[in-house]
Amino acid sequence: MTDAKTQIQDTVKANDVVLYMKGTKDMPQCGFSSRVAGVLNFMGVDFADVNVLADEGIRQGIKDYSDWPTIPQLYVKGEFVGGCDIITEMTLSGELDTLFDENGVAYNKEAADKIREANG
Amino acid sequence: MTRAAQIHEKLQAAFSPQHLEVIDESESHRGHAGYQDGGESHFRVVIRAPVFGKMSRVARHRAVHAALGTVLVGQIHALALDIAA
Repeated sequence: MTDAKTQIQDTVKANDVVLYMKGTKDMPQCGFSSRVAGVLNFMGVDFADVNVLADEGIRQGIKDYSDWPTIPQLYVKGEFVGGCDIITEMTLSGELDTLFDENGVAYNKEAADKIREANG
Repeated sequence: MTRAAQIHEKLQAAFSPQHLEVIDESESHRGHAGYQDGGESHFRVVIRAPVFGKMSRVARHRAVHAALGTVLVGQIHALALDIAA
């Protein structure tokens, strides 16, 4: 339990953008994880992916860490941002762009605009 | 009581929403991970209540999770939330 917490803290501190997900960014194993990883991939964001299905301690640990019951979970600069619904809403509203801007996270603005055009 | 009815009852009591929809989307996930026989595994909730107006996105979701309780949330494989004031 404590080990998982330490491991999570280290991971979210060492990487500007981290997605805790089911599967990997190249092979997601859940529709919700797939959607968030797909947005980040499409926007060209350099992010670390952690497959919770590969580690039961992390799978439970990340839910305790953020007090959030579901996967995926996105972290930017160590801060929990949200799950699939929130990331989807923030992508479409432009709030995700703002969050990345404020935190110096590189991404492709044109790609983000394309997502909004396609879902507007 | 079905899970959908439980979700409806708990959210109605907690937030007195002016709009509340609890949609069982389980059938569209048949064969996917988390599908349970008899459905009631995948839900979409649309809720509108003034109380959410002052909350951040994360706080809104946390408030709904808290109102549903860990037991019910734990029984559901997927809960898509559309929350606004």
